[in-house]
Amino acid sequence: MKDFCETEKTSLQKWSNFQLPHRYKKIGWAVVILTLILMLGKKFVDEPEWVKPVLRNVMLLGLLMVSIAKEKIEDEFMVSLRAMSYRLAFIFGVIYTVVQPYIDYAVGYLIEGKGEFERGSFQVIIFMLLIQVMFFYVLKKSTK
Amino acid sequence: MKNTIKVQRAIKDLTQEELAKLLGVSRQTVNSIEKNRYVPSTVLALKLAKLFEVSVNDIFELEEGD
Repeated sequence: MKDFCETEKTSLQKWSNFQLPHRYKKIGWAVVILTLILMLGKKFVDEPEWVKPVLRNVMLLGLLMVSIAKEKIEDEFMVSLRAMSYRLAFIFGVIYTVVQPYIDYAVGYLIEGKGEFERGSFQVIIFMLLIQVMFFYVLKKSTK
Repeated sequence: MKNTIKVQRAIKDLTQEELAKLLGVSRQTVNSIEKNRYVPSTVLALKLAKLFEVSVNDIFELEEGD
C-alpha cells in the first residue's frame, strides 16, 4: 500500500508539473478569438444544434492551452505566481457557483417575471479559466 | 526576510538582467527577491551564494516575525 501511494504520488507530481511550450499561449488565444468570432457569427445563421457545444468545448481547450503554456522563462517565481492564480481562480469559482444562480434568478424574475436556477458547467469552467489567466497576468505585471 | 542582493550585485557590478541570466531565472524574479516580495527556494539561495562567493547567511537575514 505504501509503495502504491508513493508511485501514485510520483506520477501525480509528474502530471501536476505538465506544461505546454510557450508558443501554445499564442495558439490558445488564436483558438479562443476564432471560436468567439464563430459563436458571434453563428447568431446570424441557422446552424445545427451540435455547433454550439462543440464551439464551447474548443474555446475551453483554447483557454486551457493559454493557462498551462509556459512563460518565456518559467522559473520558480513564475510557478509560485501561477499557483497563486489557480488558488484565486478556485476560490472565485466556488463563490461564483454559489452566488451567480441567485443573481440569475433575481435578474430573470425582474425582467421576465420568472427566474431559473440554472448553472451550466461551461460558465463555471470558463469563469475559472478567465480568472486564472487574468490574475496570473496581473500578478506578473505587478512585479515588473 | 531581509537580503543584501542589491549590495552583492553592486560589488560584482552586475545588473538585474545579467544576474538573472547567470542564475537562469527572469529579471522579474531577481527584482522581486531584491524587493523582499518573494522568498527564493533553497536551491536558488545557494546558487546566489555560490555566485557572490559568500555564505547564504551573508545574503539573507531573518527579521522579527519570520
